[in-house]
Amino acid sequence: MIDILLKDMWSPIVFIIVSLLTALVAYMFYRIGDEGYKRTRHKGEPFISGNMPPKDPRMIHVGGDNVFWGFTHALRKYLDPLVKAHTGIINDYVYWMVITMALVLIYVYLLI
Amino acid sequence: MSMDLVSASPAFVLGIPLLFAFLTPLANRVSKDLRDAMFVIGLLLTALFVGIMAYEVYTSGSWIYVFGSEESRPTQTASYFRIMFAADGFSALASITMVITALGAGLYSFAYMEGNTGMEKFYTLFFLTLAGVMGMVLTADLFNLFVWFEVTSIASCGLVAFQNYKVKSVEAALKYMFISVLGGLFFLVSIGLLYGEYGVLNFFLLADALTGGMIDKVALSIIIVVFAMKASSVPMHMWAPDVYAESPGSVTPFIAITSLGSLFVLTRIIFTLFRYSFGVAAVGHLLIILGLLSMFVGISMALKQSDVKRLIAYLSVSQIGYMLMAIGVAFATLDSADYSSFGAMALEGGLFHMINDGVYKALLFLSAASVVYATGIGDLNKLGGLAHKMPYTTMFFLLGGLSIAGVPPLSGFSSKLLIYQSVYLYHPILAIIALVVSIITFALIGKIFYSAFLGPDQGLTRGEVPRSMLVAMGILTVVVILFSLFPNYVVAEIVVPAVEGLGVVA
Amino acid sequence: MNQWVIALPFITVALLISLGLYTILFKRNLIKMIMGLAIIQNGVNLFLVSLAYREGYAAPIWTSAPGEDMVLPTSHALTLTSIVIGLATTALMLSFVIMLKKHKGSVDSFKNRRCRE
Repeated sequence: MIDILLKDMWSPIVFIIVSLLTALVAYMFYRIGDEGYKRTRHKGEPFISGNMPPKDPRMIHVGGDNVFWGFTHALRKYLDPLVKAHTGIINDYVYWMVITMALVLIYVYLLI
Repeated sequence: MSMDLVSASPAFVLGIPLLFAFLTPLANRVSKDLRDAMFVIGLLLTALFVGIMAYEVYTSGSWIYVFGSEESRPTQTASYFRIMFAADGFSALASITMVITALGAGLYSFAYMEGNTGMEKFYTLFFLTLAGVMGMVLTADLFNLFVWFEVTSIASCGLVAFQNYKVKSVEAALKYMFISVLGGLFFLVSIGLLYGEYGVLNFFLLADALTGGMIDKVALSIIIVVFAMKASSVPMHMWAPDVYAESPGSVTPFIAITSLGSLFVLTRIIFTLFRYSFGVAAVGHLLIILGLLSMFVGISMALKQSDVKRLIAYLSVSQIGYMLMAIGVAFATLDSADYSSFGAMALEGGLFHMINDGVYKALLFLSAASVVYATGIGDLNKLGGLAHKMPYTTMFFLLGGLSIAGVPPLSGFSSKLLIYQSVYLYHPILAIIALVVSIITFALIGKIFYSAFLGPDQGLTRGEVPRSMLVAMGILTVVVILFSLFPNYVVAEIVVPAVEGLGVVA
Repeated sequence: MNQWVIALPFITVALLISLGLYTILFKRNLIKMIMGLAIIQNGVNLFLVSLAYREGYAAPIWTSAPGEDMVLPTSHALTLTSIVIGLATTALMLSFVIMLKKHKGSVDSFKNRRCRE
């Protein structure tokens, strides 16, 4: 049932045409809007908790580790041990490979 | 004559890069322009012969090329001396993936590596790596496979450490080399086991001879682990981020392609060699476990990265997980009626995802390399506002990024749709994990895009990268767009013959 | 008695491979680790050579063999290839270690971990 629904229905061309039609409808709604709207003084400036935006462009942009900070911070009990396991020592790389090989050998011996 | 050329095209696919690997240093004696021209000619000729081979496979079926013999089938006597190449749909798919990426990375190298001395050696290593991966995916012989495995390891490590004044590059190359050589030795042990037991090394003859005894089990386990390691599957992935992040930018997609090539080899070995001699479900489950681990750990580690190339490296580890899972599902259902209802779809999805992944990952790595090239910074905390000065790179990155995240209507979505759907029918939880990983991938692409490209212009770069680099990324972009627009055509013309080439027909 | 003689190379192989793995896993000096890799390599080569041996069989020279009974032919080619590849890989890895030593003055694997996490 599901393969009739998804696999045969999927066509990128149709998707693009429908997206363009949707964009056209959105544009028509946009045209309905009030043309007499005036630009205010602060339009286009970043909103930083009501403070005046700083002059230096580097202070405006919030990127890198600050993006999704909350998400990674909430998962720190899971992520920190994982990050710590990537020690960067060659011995550990080999150790992981030997361990995996031993586990796979046991798996194959027991289950096949 | 032309017929011979066509039937020998697998040999030329391998021979042209090998020939040009040693012609470029000679041409360098004459002039630098000739050397660069030789590089481009070599790449284009390789692409031409891949095209000839693929065309022949798609129009008149697959064949086996036996070196130094006019026979075109693996006889018992010939298998003692002869090396055989399988020219089937699977080889065609794999070598098309390799050659598209090699063209992109090669053209990109001109401007990117400008200013480095000893470029003729760079080209030699580049061609040797190309010959190595081509040999790996084309060969139908375990001994030969070992040789190409090692050629690829040595040459690609040379490429990683090419800028040997960078300590991190040398260190990453040493780690990669060390673990590859150890993997190669384990692989050699398994070759020895199989050869000592059955006396043949040819895939087809060995597949008939295997009985599924103790020795076969040990050999199977070693082969799975070694090639999963080379394909950067968790928990043996740790070399991958180091190498991808520290190799020269134009080389990175090429290293990614060698690990993708190992995944191709793993698929071929499992499907042609070990198919009839083992309980396929358990092997399939093993691959699914490796795939789930790769997806999950890869994406979790990517969350904590702040270096742009390292982040993409972890995304690539998690993409490998999708393919391993799809192959695992296909293999697990191989003996049951489920294969025709969704197992074949999983295999198609996995193979389609491989060719997509090779191309869009190359695009991503090259656009990340462009960022590093233009600004000299790889740290996302210090980047920002590049879209003002680098509009083309921004577009290329966005296209590659949306494709890796599986956003419709791009090519990544078409292949992931096949995977989601088939693994959902196998077990719903697999599809749910795959979807969650895909969503986090999208979020992380958003993180890179927002951090590096959006925001006010910070004056980090003077302008767009040189035109030849844009052309190289443009070629890959065109391929991504073509794959995105006509997925049904690609599946019918390229992926389905590859599935047939593996010897499984729904 | 004879069985033991045939088994002896394989016992040596097991010893060599475990010795090499021990060196790689528990030594911190990069050069010693590469030596461990070379020991494994030699163990594997010995494994391949001793695998080919069949008692009383002739050398695999196809044109002048006395009968059909010949030892396995490809093993020796495989071993030769493996030795050549081993030379190349060991030399390349040692040169990487020399570069690391020149740049940062350490061959300790615990100190050469600039790429991590």
